[in-house]
Amino acid sequence: MRFFSLIVFSSLLFSNNQIPGMDQKRPILLKGGILHTVSGDILEEYDILFAEGRIVTIDMQIQPSPETDVYEIYGKHVVPGFIAAYTRIGLTEISAVKQTNDHSEIGEINPNVRANVAYNPDSDLIPVTRSNGVLIVNSTPSSGRIPGQSSIMELDGWTWEDATIKHPAALNINWPSMYIDYSDKKNNEKKQRDEYNKKVRELDELVLNVRAYYHRKNAKERKAEHKQKTDLRLESMIPFIIHNEPVHIKANDIRQIEAAIDWSKKHKLDITIIGARDAWINPELFVKNNVPVIILGVQVTPRRRFEPIHITYKMPAILFEAGVHFCISLDPGYPMDGHVRTLPDEVMRAVTWGLPKNQALKSITLSAAEILGIDDRVGSLEPGKDATFFISNSEPLTQTTNPVKAFIQGRELDLSDRQKNLWEKYKEKYRRLGNLDD
Amino acid sequence: MTRTILFFSSAILISQTEPVKDIHQNNPRVWALTNAMIHTEPGDSIKDATLVIRDGKIDKIGRYIQIPLDAYEIDMEGAHIYSGFIDAWSQVKQDEKTTSPDSHWNKKIRPEYRAKDDAKFKDKELRALHEIGMTAAHIVPEKGIFKGKSDLINLDEEMLSLSKNISQVIEFKASRWSERGYPNSLLGVIAVIRQTMLDAEWYDNSMRILKKYPQENEPIPINNPLQEIADFKINQRPMLFMTKEEHAAMRALSICKEFNLNPWLLASGYEYRRIREIKEQGPFIIIPLDFPEKPKVNDPYIAMQYSNEQLKHWDMAPDNIKKLFDAGIRFSFTSSTLKKKPDFRKNLQKIIDRGLPQDVALAALTTYPAKAMGLEKILGKIQPGYIANLVVTDGNYFNPKSRVTSLWISGKKHFISDRHKINLVGNWDMQIKNNSYEIEFTRPKSGQKGKSSKSAISKRKLEGKIHIENESITLKEIKLYDQNIEFSVDGTLLEINATLAFKGMIVKDKITGTAYDGANKYDFNAKRTLKLKDKSRQKAVNSELALYYPEGVYGLDRDLLSPNAVLIDNATIWTCGPMGIVEDWDILFVNGKIDKIAPDISVPMGSALIIDATGKYVTPGLIDCHSHSAASSINEGAQAVTAEVRIRDVLYSDDINIYRQLGGGLTIANILHGSANPIGGQNAVIKLKWGSKPNDLIYKNAPQGIKFALGENVKQANWVGNGRYPQTRMGVEQVIRDAFRAAQDYRHRHKTYNRNSKAKKKIIPPRIDLELEALAEILEGTRLLHCHSYRQDEIWMLTRIAEDFGFKIATFQHVLEGYKVAERIAEHGAGASTFSDWWQYKYEVIDAIPYNGTLMANNNVLVSFNSDDAELARRLNTEAMKAVKYGGLSEEEALKFVTINPAKQLGIDQWVGSLEEGKDADFVIWDGPPLSIYSKVQETWIEGTRYWSVDENKRLEERDKLERESLIQKILSTSSKLSGKVMKPNSETPNHNHNCRIDDYQLMGNQ
Repeated sequence: MRFFSLIVFSSLLFSNNQIPGMDQKRPILLKGGILHTVSGDILEEYDILFAEGRIVTIDMQIQPSPETDVYEIYGKHVVPGFIAAYTRIGLTEISAVKQTNDHSEIGEINPNVRANVAYNPDSDLIPVTRSNGVLIVNSTPSSGRIPGQSSIMELDGWTWEDATIKHPAALNINWPSMYIDYSDKKNNEKKQRDEYNKKVRELDELVLNVRAYYHRKNAKERKAEHKQKTDLRLESMIPFIIHNEPVHIKANDIRQIEAAIDWSKKHKLDITIIGARDAWINPELFVKNNVPVIILGVQVTPRRRFEPIHITYKMPAILFEAGVHFCISLDPGYPMDGHVRTLPDEVMRAVTWGLPKNQALKSITLSAAEILGIDDRVGSLEPGKDATFFISNSEPLTQTTNPVKAFIQGRELDLSDRQKNLWEKYKEKYRRLGNLDD
Repeated sequence: MTRTILFFSSAILISQTEPVKDIHQNNPRVWALTNAMIHTEPGDSIKDATLVIRDGKIDKIGRYIQIPLDAYEIDMEGAHIYSGFIDAWSQVKQDEKTTSPDSHWNKKIRPEYRAKDDAKFKDKELRALHEIGMTAAHIVPEKGIFKGKSDLINLDEEMLSLSKNISQVIEFKASRWSERGYPNSLLGVIAVIRQTMLDAEWYDNSMRILKKYPQENEPIPINNPLQEIADFKINQRPMLFMTKEEHAAMRALSICKEFNLNPWLLASGYEYRRIREIKEQGPFIIIPLDFPEKPKVNDPYIAMQYSNEQLKHWDMAPDNIKKLFDAGIRFSFTSSTLKKKPDFRKNLQKIIDRGLPQDVALAALTTYPAKAMGLEKILGKIQPGYIANLVVTDGNYFNPKSRVTSLWISGKKHFISDRHKINLVGNWDMQIKNNSYEIEFTRPKSGQKGKSSKSAISKRKLEGKIHIENESITLKEIKLYDQNIEFSVDGTLLEINATLAFKGMIVKDKITGTAYDGANKYDFNAKRTLKLKDKSRQKAVNSELALYYPEGVYGLDRDLLSPNAVLIDNATIWTCGPMGIVEDWDILFVNGKIDKIAPDISVPMGSALIIDATGKYVTPGLIDCHSHSAASSINEGAQAVTAEVRIRDVLYSDDINIYRQLGGGLTIANILHGSANPIGGQNAVIKLKWGSKPNDLIYKNAPQGIKFALGENVKQANWVGNGRYPQTRMGVEQVIRDAFRAAQDYRHRHKTYNRNSKAKKKIIPPRIDLELEALAEILEGTRLLHCHSYRQDEIWMLTRIAEDFGFKIATFQHVLEGYKVAERIAEHGAGASTFSDWWQYKYEVIDAIPYNGTLMANNNVLVSFNSDDAELARRLNTEAMKAVKYGGLSEEEALKFVTINPAKQLGIDQWVGSLEEGKDADFVIWDGPPLSIYSKVQETWIEGTRYWSVDENKRLEERDKLERESLIQKILSTSSKLSGKVMKPNSETPNHNHNCRIDDYQLMGNQ
């Protein structure tokens, strides 16, 4: 029987480059841990066996086969990897440096661009993010009315293809603004409304064109000159418009949310609302229309001066009580892309303001997996699912929790990162100066 | 008859020196207006009186006076005569003037300019003003900060100045952020005004010395602008500040107080919100008679764009003037902001309905402005010797239905309209050929397109019918001009087999004339039988709403809980002081101070408010060492060195973030200038005393400070900058060294001058420079330096500069690479105020690590965590916990990152930052361990007063929700055609976050 050395990490060997985990060769049995299954109860002193990257068994006492590596983890917690359902991880390095940004293609209508092909598996954001237990992200293009297709990535792998869990995750739409700016001297209210209507009409026409394109492409037309010529934009939208793959619509204002839901009903699309800052105003809307929500940020200020000052903290609880299907992520614009690692803080805050703790954990694991359509593989500890989880010395929703081990599909991760390395480097400086002992 | 008197001359008064162009014109200039109701002055009138005008002035007035033989008599029966009204604000459109070499270096300072130079009124404008009775206007310049001088002129073609140089007009007007022109922020504007006042004093003084001792001094360049301002100040002539909201008024008044100026304000309409502060210096106020237009709440979602404060303002604004009057403030009116001038009189009626005495309204149009402008002996009343500026109306002016029929300006008559407006609508009894018929005139509403520009009635077409038993004939081609009416009718039913053309004259309720069929003429007459009744007017009523402090949601409507003594029983107390953490102890606060901390404290029954805190935690109030909340302006970025600007000048006590942050346990914040330039502005340390006025936010014990900045922001690396020096870190260092050297020279010059008391009288003193003053104070150690910084090189660099100049840096802000040079920071003795875990947002933070705070603390650096962000500032306790997560600091030490450590960094630890006897009673009660994200603030106290509590928050939340609902209901049920000021909905205001360079213009949704 071997033991993990549960030190965070202990060497400077890896410098800035964390080496991807090795494929799981032998079955691993973790004995006696506290298993946060999410799909079921918290199982204390349970064993979990995983092999070939998948969870095999979860039970009280599992008898290992001879080739199994067995580790005792009594008192430690096993938690499904957190899922950040809306990020730009891999698509940006430094927000202010244009050269490092690949999330915003020029133009308004870019349904054909794909996030995962621009995902940089060596981004420094990746190890920093997973250091806090976030092991899966939805990487999303972000500019224009149709920014493109998002991809669900696991935060480990040599190439973007290795790291892709699902593509396309969704077609992303930023719903046009419906705010009437009365101080706009050039555009009066009518002009602004017209401008909005025009933008929606363009989306309508796009949907129509996709249907017509699909129809003509499939028509049994022999004559070469009648053949539909290729249009990448229209073609890329076929899965979402014709085959009901998910569409993610970013809409924060209640007006936008209502309009986006109406629009999607008209076109029979399968949508999720992203952001939904105003969702608390009418949570029934989501229940009635069976539309899930990806909340972006709990620790944000209220939108309007007259809103209850803690409304943003309370919103997850309000949505939960109303029966809305939701998960929680962060807004890539605030507090910036690098802060996906604070995801657990966001849901802890929601717990303080009424969200049950198990729901909080669910909102960054299983619910996120369900909404992103990857719950067959991740989001909970269940036999058959990926062995994508982390181990920590304390409860997952504790402020000071730092994962000590993490696995993605059974591959053990290097939990060091650029920041820890710099920390070590400069601790050494102060040790030499005699200021530090350890 | 009166209409026939017309003047053609244009130059009677001012032509005394001008040669005649063709032949002489000498119109008679002696008139007697008889049988009029003469309002000699507010509160005084004479019935059936006679008024004699001679040579542009009032000669005689009275009931039984003899009409001079040379006076031509005009019968004014039924007319009211008032002293001509003064429109107290009329901005003159101004071309950009070429500057003279003697102009001020800053183009926005042009006090020598006189608005009259460009005065021009279009006939249409004059007519519109005349129709509401304006005979004179106070014309003011348009451009700049110190805009120039105003005149009071007659509102006719001659534009005779009744008085010149009445006021110097000042506006808080900044260049846009993108522009190079200094100043480009409100901060900078106020600094410019203050510096200019000082310069003017210095210049005036220097010129006197120079004149007396020309041989002892080097001549200083002529500077007319400064002389102009000095003259205004010395003669106590008014400084007229334009204001857009009540905070601007307070800012203007505080400048006037500082420099002993005679304050005038152009009102914003928001004065009622801070009337106590505004009345203190008794400013004269010019009020645009303009009220907010109805918020567009018909769409419930657009309604959400309005804040409660705006909805309330709609209801309360028309009471503003009455409240100003009650506060003893004197004022005058202007119609200048009204798109439709006739609304002026409707609005007057509105404020009279709402309680302003009619005499006061009249005074505000006449005697008040005359007196304020120093013209009370010749203008504003109808008395012998006064200028013959008169308004003649056909009824009480304050009933908008009456009409201004003529104006007299310097004794010259201007026809405005007929005395009686003909309104035919109603029923008439017509006699023709000895038969009697009924005519009915109507003005149907149907078919009306768009909005009418004047009154809606006059635009509707007049229609008429003759009723004969059960039949009726329609009148065709009705034409109405002056007192004449024409129409044609098929005469069959009138027993004349022809079409009849009627032509008549209307005199009061009678029409007489003839009908003509091409061959015969028939006399007819008609008498009114039924007059259309005036709709009974609904009187405007005063708002029933109470004022909150600050106005809007969560504003205070009553005194805060502030007992003499508070005893907290059985709490777990994290003192952040030498006592550490004590469990189940008591803490007693008396008179706003901490009196005692002990295991058991007892007080006489009823002598203290006792709070049972079993299971609860008490900590010091949290302190945020880097915030941009509560200020209307953050960055003056037009110059690299702006040490003269002060956050204290622009504190904004209405910022909702103050309240939100109190709810997170914050009691003190260091409000810093942004990071647009290497040497920014002076900071303000405030206590979050929600509800107080801006000046009362300032924490008086806090030493003065200043913000510096290094790196990418100051070299404008992350946006398209304006090409300002410096653009590299090398240049940044030079700018700072240069500034300090200049400050040394400056101090030296002043000291030398002050030492030499004999020479003082003869030698021009060195000028006071607010920028160099602030810098010199840093060198002298009386002003704390807080420096925005990221990279280790620049941190190291600034410590070296400080050591070269012999002072100590108070804090490095952000200081994300501080962990790399902790030993240098510690050795220098600076504090480090950093973020818990921010990184990645720009290149210079590429090496940011969340272990920064802990690592610096472990190397003897005094560390705090700050927010730089309105949201983060309401959860600094959980930010502190990140020092435990990253690097393993103890929780007790971590809390100090947001309490005693920032207090030390700000130089206020003697009074705040920990719970120790004798310190301020600033504390927070939590329902759980203070660093836990699962704990909530129960109460936040500052100096023994409870500023936030769960219960009170709930009460205010419910109050505001109800108030909002009832206001929207009221707006929906009010119909008003009056146009007014459009309020820009402001419920969604941007947050300050993290980049330290937000634009002022984004901040104040209000305007």
